[in-house]
Amino acid sequence: MKWCVIFFILVIIFSASNMFAQDALKKQFAFAKNLYASENYYDAITELKRLLFFDTYSQYTFEIYELMGKSYKMGGKFSDAILTFTDAELNAKTIQQIYQAKIEIIRANILRRTTDRALQLLDELANDKKFTSKANEINYWRGWALMFADKWDEAAKSFAKIDSCKQLQNLAEKVHKDKYSEVFSNLISHFIPGAGQIYTGNYFSGFLSLGWNVLWGYVTINSFAANRIFDGLVELNLLWLRFYNGNIQNAQNFAKEKNLIITNKALNYLQFDFYGQKP
Amino acid sequence: MKLFLCIFIFSSTIIFAQTDWQKWGKANYSYAVKDNFHKRDLSFDAKNPARFVLKSLLDSYWFFISDVDGDNCAFSPTCSNFFLQSVSKTNLVQGTLMFFDRFTRDMDFIAKFDFYPRVPDGHFYDPISLYTLNKNEIKYIPPSVIVNNE
Amino acid sequence: MKKTIFLILCYCSILIAQSVDQQNEVNLFSPPNIKKFADYLFCSHDYLRAALEYQRYLSTNHNDTVSYKTAIAYSKIGNYSKAAKLFASIDHQSHLFPDAQLEYYKALFQDEDYFGLRNDFINVDLSNQFVLSPRDKKLFYFSYLFTNDKLPSENKFLSHFEGTDFQRVKDFYSWKEAPPYKSSLVAGILSAIIPGLGKFYVNEYSDGVFAFLAAAALGYLSYTDFKAEHNFRGWVFGGLAAGFYAGNIYGSIAAAQIYNVKIQFDFVNSLKVFLNAKNYFIPEINFCR
Repeated sequence: MKWCVIFFILVIIFSASNMFAQDALKKQFAFAKNLYASENYYDAITELKRLLFFDTYSQYTFEIYELMGKSYKMGGKFSDAILTFTDAELNAKTIQQIYQAKIEIIRANILRRTTDRALQLLDELANDKKFTSKANEINYWRGWALMFADKWDEAAKSFAKIDSCKQLQNLAEKVHKDKYSEVFSNLISHFIPGAGQIYTGNYFSGFLSLGWNVLWGYVTINSFAANRIFDGLVELNLLWLRFYNGNIQNAQNFAKEKNLIITNKALNYLQFDFYGQKP
Repeated sequence: MKLFLCIFIFSSTIIFAQTDWQKWGKANYSYAVKDNFHKRDLSFDAKNPARFVLKSLLDSYWFFISDVDGDNCAFSPTCSNFFLQSVSKTNLVQGTLMFFDRFTRDMDFIAKFDFYPRVPDGHFYDPISLYTLNKNEIKYIPPSVIVNNE
Repeated sequence: MKKTIFLILCYCSILIAQSVDQQNEVNLFSPPNIKKFADYLFCSHDYLRAALEYQRYLSTNHNDTVSYKTAIAYSKIGNYSKAAKLFASIDHQSHLFPDAQLEYYKALFQDEDYFGLRNDFINVDLSNQFVLSPRDKKLFYFSYLFTNDKLPSENKFLSHFEGTDFQRVKDFYSWKEAPPYKSSLVAGILSAIIPGLGKFYVNEYSDGVFAFLAAAALGYLSYTDFKAEHNFRGWVFGGLAAGFYAGNIYGSIAAAQIYNVKIQFDFVNSLKVFLNAKNYFIPEINFCR
């Protein structure tokens, strides 16, 4: 009996000391999470690193790296975030954790605008049989990656594969429809100077361009017709071609500028007014 | 493979430790793409009569000619802007001399790559501060640098 | 029986000691744990966090090695003024004092406080607080290459350098003594004689060619127009030719100034590269072996 009591006391002492350690790590993780929640990301990472250093049995490793990655992401340090999420993936203990880490890497890649890498990782996930049940989520993030890659029509197709994603599908379709064709704008300006600018709604610039081209074209042709070859060459090179090339350049730039306004409006909507999941 | 990945991550961690060499907070990043399109300042300026006349002439040049004849100046600020800035900073005579020198350098299509740094939109950075003949204002920037403060 | 009880008591005391120790271990913010964590951060090159943790440790403990490492951490992240202050605070009796003194000078140097560095050197030399070795004096002499103060004599300057360093430092000294600057006046005069020649003088050859072509072509056009009695065009082209001619003289003067700033920039860069390669003549202590 006496021996049993002694043994019992020993067990209590031993497990109590272990419990203290567990409790301290738990408290430390809660402390780091609090710092993260209060947007104190730099200090959150310090405390997560402290936890990582003292967590000798690697009980929190995945959670630490995941939260550290999220902190870097909130600080706009996407490359560091991706590296840290990769650490999380390497320390994942379950399939779900691996998937979680991979999705975080994809989201950080979208924000970093390395969308090719994001799409490559999404393809890998889609082709992995372990993640067949995640098809909807994979398509959802593919849609986001494609929107950030300025491929709105493909984004719309990706969202169309998900039932509950009509809002994003409509948005992507609308942006694709509203965008001007840079090729068309460029092409028509080759044939009718100013037409590209008029196509993109810049009427004054378009007619001004047309006017300059008509004027210098007339002056140049006149010089050649009057056998003033040198004058004609100078006028052709320094005046007519200058305005002709300028018209083509402008047509393309206006289309780009207008497209950027359209896509930025959509991206701003996604950032500030869209309530679904965002990268 | 996993070993290689671990070594890569370890070495990158050291490289990226530099991120944390300064305290940082929440980033204010935007989904929208920053545009590099050239915006003209077509406002009139009435600080003094000479500047008013010059600015009005340049505004007309920009509006009726420069904006429709394409991107012909390889520099930032553009030659016309350089002219306006140099006259504002110095005087009409010195500013005009600075402009003629700049125009000559603009014609030189050979040596630009070896001499000038660039701004993000690809133009060569060539501020007036280098040419006012005030030695203290000359800040040399090597051509390999991308200048962001334009 | 007594023997068994004695053994059990021993075992119990070991467990209790271990448990107390473990409770210490689980206090993540105990001074020894703060130091351990800071050392880990320091060796992972996470210097700002390491410095902040070391300072947290130093608020309750005194340790010269920790102060030294804090200063090194600040120096690594480019906070040289803070590093200098911390290096200066290392106790004279500490075994790290000679290294701290050198690191202090290095921090002043990196902070570009060359006058502060030289004043401090002179004060130390005069006060005989400790003896400065020839190695210590290298930075003192090297600082003259970064300022416009009068250089010490060549013999005195170079006597502190030996081996492979000697020739490099001799070259630096010669450059500083007679920098190969180009004269703005010469550049201007050359361009006045032949348009573009001033630009050739400052190694801007293609600019020189284009300046010559612009002035010459417009001058020729003006000449032919006047000859053909197209006076208006003659004046326009003549005015432009004069503008390019005068602009080129002005531009050559400016180009000579820019050239001088450029070679000064390159010189200072090569000094910095040399000093970094030599770690400012300071042996580096490896704390992360």
